Amino acid sequence: MTSVSQAGDQSGHRRANRTAALREVFASWVLCGPAVVLYVVFIVLPAILGFAYSLTDWTGWTRSPTYVGLANFRELLGDTRFLAAVKFTLFETLLLVLFFTFGAMALAVLLDRLRRLKGLIRALFFYPYILSILVSALLFQYLANYREGAVNTILRSIGLAAAAQDWMGDPGLVPYFIFALVAWSGLGFFSTLYLAALQTVPSELYEAAAIDGAGPLSVFARIQFPMLIPALTTNSVLALITGVNLFSQIVVTTQGGPGYRTFTVGYYIYWLGVLNNRQGYASAVSFVTFAALVGVAAVQVALLRWKAVQL
Amino acid sequence: MNRLTQWSAAVVAGLGLAASLAGCGGTDEGAKTIHVTRNIGGREGFRRHFEAWKARFEKANPGWTMELIDLGNAEGEQYYKSRIATGDLPEVVMTWQLTNFLADGGHLVPLPDEFYEKVGLPLPPPYKGKRYTSQSGMQIQGIVVNKRMWADAGVTEPPTTWDDFVAALKEVKARGYAPLVYGGREWSAGQPLFYAIATNLYDLQPDPSKPSWTKRMDTGQVHFASDPLARRILERMIELVDNFVVKGALSDGYNEEQRDFYGGKGATWMMGCWLGGDIEPNKVDFEMEYWPIPSMTDRPPKFVLTSGMQNGWAITTSAKGEKLAKAQAVLDAFYEPQVYQLFLNGESQFREARKIPIEGPKSPWPPAQRLYDNMAANLAKYGTTVGFHIGLEDMPPPAFTMTLARVMQEILSGNRDVDRLLQMMDDDWASARKGM
Repeated sequence: MTSVSQAGDQSGHRRANRTAALREVFASWVLCGPAVVLYVVFIVLPAILGFAYSLTDWTGWTRSPTYVGLANFRELLGDTRFLAAVKFTLFETLLLVLFFTFGAMALAVLLDRLRRLKGLIRALFFYPYILSILVSALLFQYLANYREGAVNTILRSIGLAAAAQDWMGDPGLVPYFIFALVAWSGLGFFSTLYLAALQTVPSELYEAAAIDGAGPLSVFARIQFPMLIPALTTNSVLALITGVNLFSQIVVTTQGGPGYRTFTVGYYIYWLGVLNNRQGYASAVSFVTFAALVGVAAVQVALLRWKAVQL
Repeated sequence: MNRLTQWSAAVVAGLGLAASLAGCGGTDEGAKTIHVTRNIGGREGFRRHFEAWKARFEKANPGWTMELIDLGNAEGEQYYKSRIATGDLPEVVMTWQLTNFLADGGHLVPLPDEFYEKVGLPLPPPYKGKRYTSQSGMQIQGIVVNKRMWADAGVTEPPTTWDDFVAALKEVKARGYAPLVYGGREWSAGQPLFYAIATNLYDLQPDPSKPSWTKRMDTGQVHFASDPLARRILERMIELVDNFVVKGALSDGYNEEQRDFYGGKGATWMMGCWLGGDIEPNKVDFEMEYWPIPSMTDRPPKFVLTSGMQNGWAITTSAKGEKLAKAQAVLDAFYEPQVYQLFLNGESQFREARKIPIEGPKSPWPPAQRLYDNMAANLAKYGTTVGFHIGLEDMPPPAFTMTLARVMQEILSGNRDVDRLLQMMDDDWASARKGM
């Protein structure tokens, strides 16, 4: 009798467990399903299709691309314009990674030390980030115009007409013009990430440092910097992605010019696929870039995590 | 549980797909509307023409409407690609240089020869044996000059050779005038190079019995990098930039060029005849003349004709059944004399449809009308060449037009490596050809 009752109890438990599990599965699908579907439809599927198109000569005008095997990838091996775009992109990325990793950190530490108007000043630094990229880029384009731009107008008005430059047209200056635009737009965001990390530093550490007579530099080197390492990892990866994905700013301001001087990889893909109707080849370039970016990001994260453990 | 998981996943996926795709694709087959694309943007002349065209169509086809899809200053490429992807191209589209792409994709409906003969249009060169687009007016490209500035420099007739042209520009400069309005930021930067290539590298009259420069380029018989004339052209472009283009030109585009020329701040502008359509709205009050392009190769100066190919409006495969007939009626309404006159006015073009009793653009603004008269006179005196626009099957890849602008930008930004510049042209040509 006892064993029958136990068996019944076990069966009831199993049923109840199964129902609970079913409910959980159903709830998870209801809650996550739409997001998963949207992710699959708009991210995963296009990525798979993109790779499929990279094996074709699709122009974008037809619905029946021709399969060309690995021809696009072979062409990419000898593509000097792609190499130039990679070089320019890496140069911009290097500047941005350094600036968003260390410049933003310095700014965050300074902002954190503010005692007055803290909120207002932080908001002013963050403000450019909430502007759309289009607005920021157009603003910089107006600023940089040789004849009527604000920069040259100011220079002329203070008697420095000789210093007026074609900021977007001079090949020696234009890389820094692009950098300045992206740096101005993103500085607030990257420094806010550091500021958030600084708020997690226990106040006891500062108190102990004060008792020990540590100066600001020592506090930064021994307390703040080690605590900022996780944010540094995040920022450097995000800065890397910002640099490698540099595109919108180029389209709005220089359109790759003057000539071919500011072709980033992103703009080159657009130029090939959209302006030259070489969607197949552009897909191949995209795929290779994507693979390279994943590899670089993985190495970067691994190195920074290892460094964080060391510290 | 696995089955339940699969079913629930399928249901959610189906719902998500249905939600995300709702509203995409398909045209409203039932509506009595013909959608027509046009790049009106802020051009008042274009708007006046479109409104007259629409009124004419709707009067002749009661119950039907003609709806404008304004592409602004763009040339439709992205818009058309998106609409192809979603399967709802407008019934009538302006094709520009995209005719062959649209035709190759199977999106255009061929037009019968009677369509052209009815209004006296010369038959445009066919594309793969078919003709798809309406032909509008005769569009020419040349050089507009500020008559007073050039007369001050002692030049009252168009220079015949490029050397004469350069010498005259120096005279204009010596009189204290900006000899050339020129911006390097966008497509208009390529105009001088386009003019030079079209009138020197290509035969003035294409000979059907021998391959054009385009054909020889495509078959590897010639290359810019190894062609002495192409090299000379680029050297002359460098000379032009070094002597007559001001610092900061890379900040300027078409609008700045127009503003400078119409503002009387420059003596010369290498621009297509469409500039005439903006004289009246801008109340430009000085005398202008339109001159042909001087030669670098001892040929007679010529205007470049850029409207000979199929590049007008075409009917797409979205027009089915009754809509197909009405799309045809839209194209027919274009040639109603009043509508056609407004088109020629807006674009500053001359008559192509010889059976329509309209000669060319007209304007109540005297400087504009005098420029039109001068254009007509010089067109008759000097004539035209089609340059490299021989036919849709015999022209450089459309993207090459922007290559010309980029090469000029390279020159503007200090690149004096002619070999490298020529190689850029070869590379771009080859790459763009693969996209066709």
